[in-house]
Amino acid sequence: MPFPAHYTNVDQAADDLRRRSLSHMAAPLERMIYLGSTRDYNTGLYYHDGLASRFSEMVACQALANCHREAYQQVLQSSLEDLVQQLDSYVQSTHSAPRDFIAAWKNLQPYRVAVPAETDPLAADFLCSNVKIALSIWEAHQSGRSRQQLDASLPQ
Amino acid sequence: MIQLVFSLLVGLALLVVLYFFARRGKVSAEGSAQQLREARQTLDSLQFGLLPNDLVHRIFAREDLRYVRSAAPPQVESLFLAERRAISLAWVRRVRGAILDLMRFHRGHARLYAQLSLSTEILLAFNFAVLLMVCRLLQIALYLRGPYAAPGMVRTVAAAASRVCLISEKSLVFLKVNQMDTLKNDPSHHGASV
Repeated sequence: MPFPAHYTNVDQAADDLRRRSLSHMAAPLERMIYLGSTRDYNTGLYYHDGLASRFSEMVACQALANCHREAYQQVLQSSLEDLVQQLDSYVQSTHSAPRDFIAAWKNLQPYRVAVPAETDPLAADFLCSNVKIALSIWEAHQSGRSRQQLDASLPQ
Repeated sequence: MIQLVFSLLVGLALLVVLYFFARRGKVSAEGSAQQLREARQTLDSLQFGLLPNDLVHRIFAREDLRYVRSAAPPQVESLFLAERRAISLAWVRRVRGAILDLMRFHRGHARLYAQLSLSTEILLAFNFAVLLMVCRLLQIALYLRGPYAAPGMVRTVAAAASRVCLISEKSLVFLKVNQMDTLKNDPSHHGASV
């Protein structure tokens, strides 16, 4: 995105964003999905009303893009074990039923559109592959938990 | 008579050779600038996209395999190995492709650039050759035995590719972006520094 380099308050806006909206999201995966959703798919520009009112639309856009790249890098560098935990934490934050969540993520693969623009295609493929595997592991864990609950509820 | 035919044949052969030389010699200034830009992009893609330690470490991380084996059923382990194999093969293919692009660029431009050092070019040629060979071997190993088949070779490829990038950058200092922009914007340059 062509932004002039003299936006000195982009860092301030990014800090503000981290302190307010992003501080409620512990997992980088959650932050990446959220920040990806603030981007207009038609223009590639990010929008955040609160941030734009405190700074400007352009500064808010650049700050959101910077935080998005940061979250993406953190997800990319996460181990698979960490990613499964992040996924678990994310599902809990959405309050979705595990079965519905798994079905939606397997069919729609929303993580594919949550990747920032101008990232290396191989790194993006690697991230999507890792999320896919983490989802399968998390699904297996969920099935195990369901089975254990079922076994516990059956009369001895 | 035989001498005449022989002389005519030699003359004809020389004309054909001259024709091919003349065709190869046409290097357009715009084409050169475009090739310079592409070479810079290839270098950037290698240095910042494919070779960062974090990415290479994560793609080939054994801790992920250990975790999958301990925490997931066999079918997920198969999925994991298939996915990692595809990614690792794509990584080597991309590195090899970028190295080939850089090599072609060097071969095409070395003869036009007066300030090249012979020792640097020989070192570069040697590194290119070794790297391409190791990449091919690594591809075979990953294809046949999976993503964790040759960790040493992965380290060798990453280190050698980084070395080639550094030498290439030192060798072709005119590949700096600011100069590329000057080349693009100022018609008087027309790739004259090449």
